[in-house]
Amino acid sequence: MNNRGHNTQERASLRDALFGVPHLSGGRRPGERKGGALTAGSLLDKAILLLLLGAVCLFVLWPMACILLRSLGDGEGGFTLAAYAQVWSRYRENLWNSVFVGVLSALACTVFSTAAAIFIATRRGWVKMACMALLLITMVSPPFVSSLAYIQLYGRRGWITYRLLGISWDPYNCWGVIWMQSISFVPLNTLLLIGILSKLDTGSLQAARDLGARPAAILRDVVLPLMGPGILVSLLLSFVRSLSDYGTPVIIGGRFSTIASEIYLQLVGYSDLEKSSAMNMFLLLPAIAAFFLYRYLMRRSDKLSEGSRSRQGRLELSLSRCGPVGIGIAAVSILFFLMMVLQYGCIFLAGFLKSTKGVYSFTLRNWEELWRLDAATMVRSVVYALIVSLAGTLFAMLFAYYMERRRVPGRSFFDCVATLPYMLPGTCFGIGYILAFNHEPLKLTGTAVIVLANMLFKQLPTATKICSASLTQVPLALERSARDLGGGQLAVLRDVILPSLRPAFLSCFVYNFSSSMTTAGAIIFLINPGKKLAVFKLFDAVYTGDYAVASLIASVIIVIVLAVEGLAYLITWKGGERNVS
Amino acid sequence: MYLELSHLKKSFGEKTVVEDLTLSLPQGELLCILGSSGCGKTTTLNMIGGFLAPDSGQILVDGEDITAIPPERRPVTTVFQSYGLFPHMTVLQNVVYGLKFQRIRRAEAREKGLRYLEMVGLADYAGAYIHEISGGQQQRVALARALIVEPKLCLLDEPFSNLDAALRVKMRQELKSLQRELGMTMVFVTHDQEEALILADRMAIMEQGRVLQYDAPLHIYHNPVSPFVADFLGLKDLEWRQDGALLKIIRRDDKEEHHAG
Ligand SMILES: Nc1ncnc2c1ncn2[C@@H]1O[C@H](COP(=O)(O)OP(=O)(O)OP(=O)(O)O)[C@@H](O)[C@H]1O
Ligand SMILES: [Mg+2]
Repeated sequence: MNNRGHNTQERASLRDALFGVPHLSGGRRPGERKGGALTAGSLLDKAILLLLLGAVCLFVLWPMACILLRSLGDGEGGFTLAAYAQVWSRYRENLWNSVFVGVLSALACTVFSTAAAIFIATRRGWVKMACMALLLITMVSPPFVSSLAYIQLYGRRGWITYRLLGISWDPYNCWGVIWMQSISFVPLNTLLLIGILSKLDTGSLQAARDLGARPAAILRDVVLPLMGPGILVSLLLSFVRSLSDYGTPVIIGGRFSTIASEIYLQLVGYSDLEKSSAMNMFLLLPAIAAFFLYRYLMRRSDKLSEGSRSRQGRLELSLSRCGPVGIGIAAVSILFFLMMVLQYGCIFLAGFLKSTKGVYSFTLRNWEELWRLDAATMVRSVVYALIVSLAGTLFAMLFAYYMERRRVPGRSFFDCVATLPYMLPGTCFGIGYILAFNHEPLKLTGTAVIVLANMLFKQLPTATKICSASLTQVPLALERSARDLGGGQLAVLRDVILPSLRPAFLSCFVYNFSSSMTTAGAIIFLINPGKKLAVFKLFDAVYTGDYAVASLIASVIIVIVLAVEGLAYLITWKGGERNVS
Repeated sequence: MYLELSHLKKSFGEKTVVEDLTLSLPQGELLCILGSSGCGKTTTLNMIGGFLAPDSGQILVDGEDITAIPPERRPVTTVFQSYGLFPHMTVLQNVVYGLKFQRIRRAEAREKGLRYLEMVGLADYAGAYIHEISGGQQQRVALARALIVEPKLCLLDEPFSNLDAALRVKMRQELKSLQRELGMTMVFVTHDQEEALILADRMAIMEQGRVLQYDAPLHIYHNPVSPFVADFLGLKDLEWRQDGALLKIIRRDDKEEHHAG
């Protein structure tokens, strides 16, 4: 209730700020403009807005529509459900597998994430630093790293299973897939939950304690319920990501296949597009449903933390005094972080080892070979990532500005469309682009543009969110005074909004760069075979069993991303320093 | 005495925040700690509540040394400045939360909760969620939640600072009558002189971690120990009703009049 009142007031003052001052040049609503000529500035302003909205529709909505249309098409302009019937009868087992794996992965992953988040939030000092550093590395790691380490550690010739324990077993099955998926979704969910925990009201925790609640009761009655919506979001995100994950089943599923891995196989073979589209609809619909549920849950979570005092230090909760649950949380977290250490140790080492009759020795051969064969790929990946980072950040800033501060007609619709890719399965986004852009007048398949656009729009939701969050920090008064002094909409954008988004620029850039370097998702289907990217090579290497090279590529990607992020922080930090002095 | 603080001391690093604090309070009375911002009031309350361990000194409640007892087992509850209500629970659930740890049957707890809600005038809001009620109502929920466990001592840290002036005056009266009715021993922290004068049975003036004067409010008013205390109180005249309750305060500098019961 309070909240609603506040919003109305804010809206009113927003309207006031934008339209309420009649003597300004670009200050009236388009419909209300009387006589006066359109200034160049306000024309440009409109043009930018139209460009943004047009691009979002073209690169998000249209590809989705193409999948739907194609899945219903009978090839001669009519409509039929034949493709669906065929998928239902032939791939029912895959569908069932997908749901099975999705549910179990989501559950396992959420248990891990919740435990890890609570564990980290209650630590301080070097333990916390070390855990956060590990999470950071996992965040900048390419996909398939877990599967790669899994095969090397626990595979048929695995370091642990075969060399250490001497067992020979077949790791390629559905349990491997579930295990790997849950491990690789943990970092993102953990960061999400840590964010929610840091917004937990210290007052509530203190009050519970004050009223006689022991740590275990605080955990059960306050901490976990307040994390509730976040935990549901974690379940939901993991489920959808598991549904759309084709990499893990393809690499370690063996004969076990899901609907996503089946789509992958269909797509790389460029076979029946109607069928692939229909199969994709089975992923797309749950993803869209999950997306709306996700938005609802996030709003709930925000509501729970609304008005709470944010906590500076750690969560004051002694896990060792929380009984079995506390011990469980600590144990699960420690297990997880140990596995991560093992995983990355394995990845970083594997590239530099060669095995002769079971004896390992150090070698630089793979390293040299990698640079001889793939230097161009690495450079291309970095260049693409830089382009997407710059263009994507600019796009996100402008988009966030128009969405947050201006009364764009259909605002919530466009906002929703632009956020949709967050949940879209890679196969959907990939086949959508292939269908939408493989004929005139928009023939983009095989070009770099389609790859760049795909990356940009896949990352737009998070980038926009970063910018919006930062934009809410910019006081309206600042904007208002710029208008008051005679600046048009464009001047406000140039002189007030963009400069104050500087901190957001950095986070946005860094996010875009690391995602562009590491997401495989839809890119795998769009890349021109002559112009490969690093993640593509990585996938290839894992798929063909060239684990040493794969480990090297993964290590190089991680190092490059960390280096560029470090550099970006250094530059802005130096820049900031110069500004002050 | 019912509550005895003796030689409490607390420092954060180099900085001494509370220095040699000694106070005592009889049962059923309300102690006001009055001091400017940053003088160590919250730190003192946190030590009594158990959220901070004093560097030295003792805290006794009803003859029992509670200095080393953790907050969940102290016979002390706190109404926090930010209330600390549980946003995922209803008003009634918030209020009865503390009873959960007293092995009281659910139905009984509910009944008692409704009684306390009635007492603070919120009987109609039992099923509402915290974000659905106003600031003043949240304040009362926090109060009811702290009182329902029948603590030996209730601490209040600037409980009215988030309320507007009119509501503050109203809540003040309600708190005072509730305290009298229940015979509850309370420690109330504020930086508002008027609030302290009206509420307190005993008043401690605090500055930079020390207690400058500790006495009945009227006594302090008539015999300030130092020019600082006199200046800090900054009052010109008090008007009394026949029954001895304070009616009105006239400030020295502004001519504004404040009514109180
Ligand atoms: N955890 C801490 N670490 C270091 N210094 C602290 C800490 N807590 C409080 N202080 C310092 O102790 C002093 C007294 O703090 P305290 O919160 O007790 O003041 P206060 O009297 O309650 O003030 P206010 O009226 O503003 O609430 C302040 O100067 C504060 O900076
Ligand atoms: Mg305080």
